Amino acid sequence: MNKKAGPMFYVFLTLFVFLVMFPFLWVLASSIKPVAELFGDRAFIPFTNNMTGENYESVFVNYPFLKYLWNSLVVSTITTVYAVLVASFAAYAIARLNFKGKTVILGLVLSVSMFPQIATISPIYIVLKNLGLTNSYLGLIIPYTTFTLPLSIWLLVTFFRKIPFDLEEAAKMDGASPMQTYWRVILPLAIPGIFTTAILVFISAWNEFLFALTINTDDEFKTVPVGIAMFEGQFTIPWGEVTAATVIVTVPLVIMVLLFQRRIVSGLTSGAVKE
Amino acid sequence: MKPDLMPNNQKPIAAKTKQKAKKKSSDRSLGYMLIAPSMILILIIAIWPVFQSFYYSMFDLRLNNPAKSEAYVSYKVNLQTYLDNYPFLISSLEDEVDEATGKTKTELEAIKTNLEKVDAELKSDGELSSKYDEIDEKLTVMEPISEELAVSDLDKEVALDLEKAVTDSSERLRELKGELQNPEDVIGLSASLKDSVITPNFIGLKHYKENLTDSRMWKAIQNTTVFTIISVFAELVIGLAIALLINKAFFGRGLVRATILIPWAIPTAVSAFMWKYLYDGQNGIVAKAFAEIGLFDQMTDMLTTSTGAMFAVIFADVWKTTPYMALLLLAGLQTIPSSLYEAAAIDGASKWKQFLKITLPLLKSSILVALLFRTLDAFRVFDLIYVLTGGGPANSTETISILAYKVMFAQTNFGEGSALSVIVFVCVAIISMIYIKFLGRDLLNDR
Repeated sequence: MNKKAGPMFYVFLTLFVFLVMFPFLWVLASSIKPVAELFGDRAFIPFTNNMTGENYESVFVNYPFLKYLWNSLVVSTITTVYAVLVASFAAYAIARLNFKGKTVILGLVLSVSMFPQIATISPIYIVLKNLGLTNSYLGLIIPYTTFTLPLSIWLLVTFFRKIPFDLEEAAKMDGASPMQTYWRVILPLAIPGIFTTAILVFISAWNEFLFALTINTDDEFKTVPVGIAMFEGQFTIPWGEVTAATVIVTVPLVIMVLLFQRRIVSGLTSGAVKE
Repeated sequence: MKPDLMPNNQKPIAAKTKQKAKKKSSDRSLGYMLIAPSMILILIIAIWPVFQSFYYSMFDLRLNNPAKSEAYVSYKVNLQTYLDNYPFLISSLEDEVDEATGKTKTELEAIKTNLEKVDAELKSDGELSSKYDEIDEKLTVMEPISEELAVSDLDKEVALDLEKAVTDSSERLRELKGELQNPEDVIGLSASLKDSVITPNFIGLKHYKENLTDSRMWKAIQNTTVFTIISVFAELVIGLAIALLINKAFFGRGLVRATILIPWAIPTAVSAFMWKYLYDGQNGIVAKAFAEIGLFDQMTDMLTTSTGAMFAVIFADVWKTTPYMALLLLAGLQTIPSSLYEAAAIDGASKWKQFLKITLPLLKSSILVALLFRTLDAFRVFDLIYVLTGGGPANSTETISILAYKVMFAQTNFGEGSALSVIVFVCVAIISMIYIKFLGRDLLNDR
């Protein structure tokens, strides 16, 4: 940590950041070109003299893109709130209470988070179809539990474990019930961890593809990833709209990542690193 | 004195242990109560489907075929389909009999009697007979009929008789086609009538036998393995290099960290489409760059040749997940005390030696955990390949998840698709077991 960075280091760093960001920058540059300049000789020139917003306009006018965004927002938000809520109880019990079978349960949670989605999709699809829940928000919220709940429990357990045990003991000495201890002592201290968990769960639900692709096939209920993936013109792929839509989806994520990068990193690395 | 002291002393101890035991049991019941909702949800939504997939994989289950759209272990009859066709078939047959002459007439009469005979056989069962009447009534007043009412169990013998009679009449009617007034009517009705008999579609492990001898399945496994090994290895090496390089204090740490998070945060399907644009044979800048440095003969090779497509998919995956790998490893690196390196430097150990003797051994568990998650993720890869290549060209990037998806949703063959998804599950289980063996119980123990 105390090694000093030399000028060569910054050259390397700039190059690295440029390489990682290059696809986005190129897509951004393409999205403001007129469609004609996306093909032929001008396709490889990053700048245009005829900057235009027509691709962006077309995304919203010719495609139900706003609807996709709304669907994704609704599904991801509800999934996040309910998964984190249910998981917080379980995580509290696993991290703070003494009872048999904790390790087994945590092992089960971890294994479930490793289940390949394709292995659960046929029964889930058939059940949802029989219940008439395909093409509905609930049709995605229910199967999203398969990965959001184990993820939330896993992350929350590591966060709950970091809260000092003395506080809980002190609360108990003062005669607080376990529920009171949870609401008054543990929860306020766990808020940052819960928030981090919520961000990661939200991103995983927002990005989900396989369930969304198979369960909600109607334009009315498609989510953003599926919506963009299905952006196909009659004969060719409408690259202008694809690039514009990609930018629209990426910008909020970039802002979110900039704001919460510290939390996201702590969430990603907790549970994977021994401290 | 002594005998007096004993009970006095014992009392508080007993009370204390009792209190402790009480606290422990209240802890336990509270604990079980708190984990119950999560466990029930996980059981219903994640674990049950895996078993159900296995169950489905033993059936010839096809969603586009009404007689095979569910897993049936016994013979059944769909009385709704039956009654939707039988009465009309009989009356059409009567009309034909009236019009026909000679041999045709006797043939048609024989068909009719044959059908009426099995109809009587159906009605001879008390329970079935009452359902028969109920559905018949509902059909005449056009009331909706529930699945439960429509489909009922059937005795194997009756079912076989029914099937035989219906198939026979259908065949004989087809032979008589030229001599009938409205051949389309009777032939169509008798064919639909056949759908009312549901035969068990249990086939045991046949799907597995077929899959395990199918070259397409093995090709998919091979593709998945190639993709997993190359991409995870590249991600580990590059990720470790990046982590080592940025493990120091420098200006703009936060910004760099945010930059490398962006590829991870963007939906895979969206980034796959972005790469599809960059790889495009006509206007893809990356395809052009690779062609110009001589990696490919032509720009178009990138997505139209099998090695090109596999390279394209792996490259996109490495771009997206190396940052994640680097972050995990960086966090591991930061837990290694710098005093170790200082001591090694004093002892005259070279940088390379320090890396081999200090960094790698202390980073081992971080590396294994990162590898475990990445390997499993790579093995079940779907979104990236589905959007970028669709498994093409000529199935050269078709992974096992893509194959399972295609069989299930493009061919609507859920039985075989479920068998494939069970195979994916078993592979994933084996991979995790191998890793867990290396990791030991570290992963789950209290930290």
